[in-house]
Amino acid sequence: MIDLQLELSFFVLAVASIASAIGVIAFRNAVYSALSLILTLLFLALFYLQLGAMFIAIVQILIYAGAIMVLFLFVVTMLASEASDTELPDRIPWQRGIAATLGLILVGTLSYLLFTGTPMYVASTATHDNSLSLKVAAQGNIEAFGLALFHGFAFPFEVTSLLIVVAILGALVFGRRA
Amino acid sequence: MLPLSWYLIVSAILFTIGVSGVLIRRNPLVIFMSIELMLNAVNLSFIAFSRYLDSVDGQMFVFLVLTVAAAEVVVGLALIVFIFRTRRDIDVDDMNVLRG
Repeated sequence: MIDLQLELSFFVLAVASIASAIGVIAFRNAVYSALSLILTLLFLALFYLQLGAMFIAIVQILIYAGAIMVLFLFVVTMLASEASDTELPDRIPWQRGIAATLGLILVGTLSYLLFTGTPMYVASTATHDNSLSLKVAAQGNIEAFGLALFHGFAFPFEVTSLLIVVAILGALVFGRRA
Repeated sequence: MLPLSWYLIVSAILFTIGVSGVLIRRNPLVIFMSIELMLNAVNLSFIAFSRYLDSVDGQMFVFLVLTVAAAEVVVGLALIVFIFRTRRDIDVDDMNVLRG
């Protein structure tokens, strides 16, 4: 029964997220593309919830669907008059066909490898010490995440701050009136 | 639990849609959105592996990818606005010189 519910929710989510992802590249108007992308990100957050990654799901909604997409929509509406590329002529007439063919080849290859490649032993290597589910059961989801972030991943976390400073500087340099 | 490969196939399909978007569209904003789509497709497989290997590392990587995506969007959008300000059009086929 629970498996059936899981499968059903998986298929609904899969179809919805893929449909909205197709919307991102199919809409002619960039505003609709951005809204469609927000929808995709929300569906992916639901996927994360289904996989038990609660904190990441919340962060996905807050940062991605919130902050990043607001930034996108700002720029899209700022460049609104030129942001829809309906009038742009096709330089290479067979571009669409080639892209569709390459896309089909890519997804076919990936699926083929998933089914026939080196068998993946999804045997968990988790011991009693580093098992995520045990930690989550003992301490809660966010506590387990935070402990891992500030113990094992403290250095990458610090490097991240450097990256953000560089990004701010870059935005300042490009945003300056020339 | 559902088979891991289901999630990976959804992830592969989303990634392919992102790649096709980069190939098909000539609006740099939509190309950026397609790149975000690819990053998110990879995030989905990270989370799925994190669940199935019972390890927190996948979630850490997703967290870092989120930060990198935010930084990339900030710089990329600043670039697009800058190009638009100087050239008044945003067809990527026209941006074929590095000189400003």
